[in-house]
Amino acid sequence: MNALLILSALGIFALLTDILGLKKILFPASIVALIGAMVASGLEWGHHTSYFNGMMCTDNTAILYTELLLFAGLMWFLICGSSIREHQTEHYAILSFALAGAVVMVTFSNLVMLFLGIEILSISMYIMAGSQKDKYSSNEAALKYFLMGSFSTGFLLFGIALIYGCTGSFFTSGIAAAIQQPMTLPHGMLLAGVLLILTSLVFKIAGFPFHFWAPDVYQGAPDTITAFMASVVKIAATAAFFRLFSMAFGSMVQEWSFTLCLIAIGSMMIGNMGAVLQDNLKRMLAFSSVAHAGYMLIAIITLNKFSEAALLFYITAYTLATLASFAIIIRVGQENGNGDVSSLAGLGKRNPLAAATMTIAMLSLAGIPPLSGFFAKYFLFNAALQENYTWLVLAAVAGTLISVYYYFRVIHSMLILKGSEEKISNSPIQIIVMLVLSALLILLGIMPDLLLSRIGS
Amino acid sequence: MQIATYAWLIALIPLMGAILLGLLGKKVNGKSAAAIGSASVLASFVLALLIFFSINSSTQKSFDIHLFNWIHSGSLSVPFNFLLDPLSSIMLLVITGVGFLIHVYSYGYMKDDEGIQRFFAYLNLFIFFMLLLVLGDNYAVMFTGWEGVGLCSYLLIGFWFKNTNYNNAAKKAFIMNRIGDLGFILGVFLIYNTFGSISYDKVFAAAAGFSSGSSIMVAITLLLFVGAMGKSAQIPLYTWLPDAMAGPTPVSALIHAATMVTAGVYMIARSNVLYVLAPFTLSVITLIGVCTALFAATIALTQNDIKKVLAYSTVSQLGFMFAALGAGAFASGVFHLVTHAFFKALLFLAAGSVIHAMSGEQDIRRMGGLRKLLPITYPVFLIGTIAISGIPPFAGFFSKDEILAHVYACSPILYVLLMVASVLTSFYMFRLLFLTFFGNYRGTKEHMHHMHESPSVMTIPLMVLALLSVLGGFIGLPEAWGANHWLNGFLAPVFEQSSGRVNALELSHTTELTLMAFALAGAFIGLAIAYSKYIAKNQVPAEDNNQPEGLYQLSYNKYYVDELYDKVIVKPLHKISESAIAFLEKNVISRSVDSFGRITLNGSRLSRNLQTGYIGFYIFFMVMAILLILLFNRI
Repeated sequence: MNALLILSALGIFALLTDILGLKKILFPASIVALIGAMVASGLEWGHHTSYFNGMMCTDNTAILYTELLLFAGLMWFLICGSSIREHQTEHYAILSFALAGAVVMVTFSNLVMLFLGIEILSISMYIMAGSQKDKYSSNEAALKYFLMGSFSTGFLLFGIALIYGCTGSFFTSGIAAAIQQPMTLPHGMLLAGVLLILTSLVFKIAGFPFHFWAPDVYQGAPDTITAFMASVVKIAATAAFFRLFSMAFGSMVQEWSFTLCLIAIGSMMIGNMGAVLQDNLKRMLAFSSVAHAGYMLIAIITLNKFSEAALLFYITAYTLATLASFAIIIRVGQENGNGDVSSLAGLGKRNPLAAATMTIAMLSLAGIPPLSGFFAKYFLFNAALQENYTWLVLAAVAGTLISVYYYFRVIHSMLILKGSEEKISNSPIQIIVMLVLSALLILLGIMPDLLLSRIGS
Repeated sequence: MQIATYAWLIALIPLMGAILLGLLGKKVNGKSAAAIGSASVLASFVLALLIFFSINSSTQKSFDIHLFNWIHSGSLSVPFNFLLDPLSSIMLLVITGVGFLIHVYSYGYMKDDEGIQRFFAYLNLFIFFMLLLVLGDNYAVMFTGWEGVGLCSYLLIGFWFKNTNYNNAAKKAFIMNRIGDLGFILGVFLIYNTFGSISYDKVFAAAAGFSSGSSIMVAITLLLFVGAMGKSAQIPLYTWLPDAMAGPTPVSALIHAATMVTAGVYMIARSNVLYVLAPFTLSVITLIGVCTALFAATIALTQNDIKKVLAYSTVSQLGFMFAALGAGAFASGVFHLVTHAFFKALLFLAAGSVIHAMSGEQDIRRMGGLRKLLPITYPVFLIGTIAISGIPPFAGFFSKDEILAHVYACSPILYVLLMVASVLTSFYMFRLLFLTFFGNYRGTKEHMHHMHESPSVMTIPLMVLALLSVLGGFIGLPEAWGANHWLNGFLAPVFEQSSGRVNALELSHTTELTLMAFALAGAFIGLAIAYSKYIAKNQVPAEDNNQPEGLYQLSYNKYYVDELYDKVIVKPLHKISESAIAFLEKNVISRSVDSFGRITLNGSRLSRNLQTGYIGFYIFFMVMAILLILLFNRI
């Protein structure tokens, strides 16, 4: 809750800086505000307080996701803050609001708040995707994202309406309680509501067959905004998905899990296979994010005591690696801009630190031990095996095998292919970001308990 | 015992030395590398001495030191623990003591080699793994050391890796050891399966509940013995050791004579509790030990390469040790291990000194008359020869005599065979001595011109080892002489549990003294034959193209065992492998792997083709998907 207030204040402050002539302190102020929000949010640990007549609840899981969102936001500002020159105040304001929306999405305990959070985040993203107004691709991305996004929002609202019609409640606890007495409810209507909400959330996390927007939007949007989408938006959508389905619809898991299984397998297959032939880095990462959405769905399907921790660990590992890879993509993009995998050629010589960070990130995404990505997959698969989803895990492993190809292609390009000899320098902030992210990727791989022990308490 | 808490340093210091030398590489010169390498082993030796003395004086004889939890999975729990007891402390002294002398010697021997830093890094790494092998308190730590020394042996045999023959020798050693290691690890698995633990104390305590001769005990002990066959070069896995002489001579002395090859002896002595429960295995061990001792000795009779003679001699002496172990005389086996470490390291290093003096020549037909030219090498080589031949009061006499007595008590027939091996030992060693140091010089003028005694950095270790070869036997004076056998008393706690299960030596003192007289007579017979042939008649072994026929030819060609293995095992394996490449690899594996790739590529094209870029298509697809989901769920 503290985080929400600070983020909203930061957004309003950012809007005012143009008028007040404080543009110079905007960047440091944002960093301070985000760190402050992390601290303030941490203070709420263990209190389990409800706000807005119980429409939001800061339980421990919510706080952990909030912290992760704020950390991702902080890293994003450090990576991208200096490269945003045009419309600086608008960027800062809108992205602060987007973060606030993301925080609402991981803290909600009422469907209305969920809807509000999703819309705050999504509308900010529609705008930001088109923020390079003079570029055709950016405009195209924004329009596609907006059209399909509003389409799926329609389904979300439709689903919420059906649920409300059946259960008479917007509260997750109320819905869960109503589902416990199934005989009184029109069953088809309830299931239709759940499935409609499910499809729209699958759209938000870019799962098959609602993933079509992702490759086009990831590639068309500015690098910085893609980085935000791949990290913050992904965290918020996945966390909200798990929160809603575990809190409200957990008792009818038998009825929606098979549909979600097919979606998960489809996402892993289409995502991983789609990435194989891509030359554009962001497009490849878009397909890879589709695949990762598939992996994360395994946790929602499983829905046991291991899966909550496994999902948090997976998202954390995924976010760290994604932020690290975008830090390098953005840095290289500033030098030569076509954004292809081949543009990384020779990076090992041109900028060894960046190449090392990117290598660690790619290895972690591919799930190579001892990096955190390996244990992320291990915990997730382990949770699924507890519930006897052997074939789901087999499909996931097959997908992972495919993914090794395209992740290693990046490493191959950086370290083996010959490219320009010209050095690329790092600013001190970039060095810090790269070191922090690589260190965390390794540290969580060696000592996963650092994070896992939090979620059990 | 305060010092026990520092036991981990004994192993760690050589490891640090190896890492340091490996990382520094050519940044240090040869002298500093030798200093780092030798100092680290010296430090371990000092610690080993302290540990030895405190165990000797303490009433508690066994200290289990917990370092850290290593493997913990399900019901399997393997701690990384060190065990300090009389047996391991004796081994520590031999490894670090002889190891240190050989490190010092190596500086003189390898001074001009460009890879000297790498050499010392490997040597230190070897010492680390060897210490791990003897220090572990469970079979997993022992296995780690066991594999590690195998690796170092491989690296050092192939140290001069630009020579293909040397690389082949290294590969041969590695592969033959793998066969043994497979047996060893299977034995360890079986131990875990039977006892639910692989820690010595738990296994040995549980073994008390098993009856003697139970099939599971026979299986475990036989499998472990297969490991010992590989590592300690016993029939049928001995052929790698003579080839291993491709490595630098200090390596032959340290790894292929004094320490690593005796690991099998240590392992069986350590597992004595298990072995006494399997009388069948003990008989097998005696039989193989005696056969190896005799067989290798007959090959050594006709070899002309100074190192090859010593190599076969090592195989033969290891056979003696196994004969002792099989007879249930574990302490005697360890006793011979210790004295053999002294005199065989001495002989190898002295041979190295000869080779050094002869500018790399190893063929004894090209030597002769070196006695006056090498005034230090000659006497120490003589001491080593006397010691190994079993002439009192030098070290070999006491330990070998003990083994012969124990084997006699077991089976007089095997005793006779082993006695023959002992006579042959005396003959081939004096043959080597006479051909090298007596008679006329037969080498080239070129070599004569460069002839020089080795520098003191090489001769001082030789002298120390010579002293040990003279005095080493006094740690185990025969009880038949009315003396106190110190080593038996010191090792007694280790073999306490098994001592009741093997027959104690029940020979009368008269019989023992008679056997001693026989052994002595045998040694002199060997000496006399060698003298008459090579000094009185001044014979020189024939050249390669002019070899005598018959048995001589058979021995000279090592009974064609290598050729036999090649025909029976290697060639058929090659054939199978070739047909597997032709059929399996091309048709089955490649095709199936390729088809996975094709499926992925097709899927990839499908995924890409779906991505048309037309938003109408996307939304249409989404709607169809939602409809399908709803229909599928029957709504």
